[in-house]
Amino acid sequence: MSGAGGVIVIGWWQLALATGLMVLTGALSVALKLGVAKQLAIATARTYAQLLLLGLVLGWIFGLDSPWAVLGVLVIMTGVAALTIARRAPDAPAGTTGISFLAMLLVGTFITFVVTGLIVRVEPWYLPRYVIPIAGMVLGNSMNGIALALERTFSDMDARSGEILALTALGATPWEAAAPSIRRAMRAAMIPGINTLSAAGIVFIPGMMAGQLLAGADPMAAAPYQIVVMVMVATADITGSTLAVMLTYRRRFGADDIYLERGYRPDSRS
Amino acid sequence: MTENPNVPVLCATGVSAIVAGDAGDFRVLDGVSLEVDAGEIVDITGSSGCGKTTLLRALARLLPGAVGTLSLRGVSAHDLTPQAWRAAVALLPQKPTMVAGTVRENLLLPWTLKVRAQQSAPEDAVLRAALDGLHLSDVSLERDTDRLSVGQQARIALLRILMTNPSVLMLDEPDANLDDASAAQVTQATSQFASAGGAVIRVRHQRTDALASRRFSMCGGQLTETTS
Repeated sequence: MSGAGGVIVIGWWQLALATGLMVLTGALSVALKLGVAKQLAIATARTYAQLLLLGLVLGWIFGLDSPWAVLGVLVIMTGVAALTIARRAPDAPAGTTGISFLAMLLVGTFITFVVTGLIVRVEPWYLPRYVIPIAGMVLGNSMNGIALALERTFSDMDARSGEILALTALGATPWEAAAPSIRRAMRAAMIPGINTLSAAGIVFIPGMMAGQLLAGADPMAAAPYQIVVMVMVATADITGSTLAVMLTYRRRFGADDIYLERGYRPDSRS
Repeated sequence: MTENPNVPVLCATGVSAIVAGDAGDFRVLDGVSLEVDAGEIVDITGSSGCGKTTLLRALARLLPGAVGTLSLRGVSAHDLTPQAWRAAVALLPQKPTMVAGTVRENLLLPWTLKVRAQQSAPEDAVLRAALDGLHLSDVSLERDTDRLSVGQQARIALLRILMTNPSVLMLDEPDANLDDASAAQVTQATSQFASAGGAVIRVRHQRTDALASRRFSMCGGQLTETTS
């Protein structure tokens, strides 16, 4: 069965058949007593429910064709991503959620509209079919980069608390004391992006290009899209994590630029 | 900074601090006042956990939430940036900390900081002579600090701070983990610093010597002078 644009439509029966693959995986889990069959079943059910719901919501948003609806979706996506970062970076100081939200809003808005407005040149500027998926990729990668960079920065600063004390006692500024941790964290945050850029097209066919090929697109039309997407997500990852770390590292320092060790933080005094 | 010979190098008045303890918040420093003159060595003793280290951190403006009045040669701490204060009132923490790299990189670390941007870093010959002076002739400037013993690290950390020529040197149990020979070298270096006009505050727990001109005991968050 073919749909618009040469896409082979997957019907309910085919979807049920795909579920059979997960049943096979679940059977393996039971046979090997891995103890994850229940989680597997719940995760699979969530995938069905969340993606079908996403399809419905996107269909509704596409139908509205309203810039406010698109901007509203972007703000909600950014908010959820900021909350996710706060959960995944437990060593980061209080206030990280707000700063992550701000960093992703700035980076997400800038990169999304540079891509849709200047590179893809969509008309109108808010065309939901382009803006929402591209913003999703930008925010998703930015979220991963920020969470990793924040977690590494603050856990490394805690591990280096003796060194930071020695440096500040020698007259170091907060930046001079924190910079080794920040550099290590930023390198760690950038490496997955660099690896993905290096391996693209050799080790794997990236997701967007694979999706376009499955949708019947010409490979030479799909490749430039994928290149733009990969450059876009690497930029989102790096700029988002840089901005978030630069806006948060000083929160680990109190009045008089004193590094707040675990015992001296308000959140450790309960 | 304009020097006034009639005022103490370091003057602390009413220094107090509250920290979190197992049984709730408690006042670890309770209105401590202390003056130290140029060329003077002052020792502070007391039981473990009585607040000696906390006092040194407060004097170095490195204690969150500490209150009180501090001045350096009559200049209020408010008139100096925290970095300028710490460059002049130097704290050597009890645990010697080396950054990853060579002995040379560690000795030159203070001159990589903005607070000493206007000063020129010492040459290799000066570093070598300083190491020899603390009986570290067998330690090359190129040696990785991972290959130093605790005693060598403690002396290099002391040297690193001495070479910055601070006004006040605060040593937190400087010879706690040292053998007698290394401890004697640290004592000698401290004495030379004071002889050159530096003020020294030492927190001591184990060894005693005759260097200090005044001794204080710390108890209940307060300092009591024991001899003069």
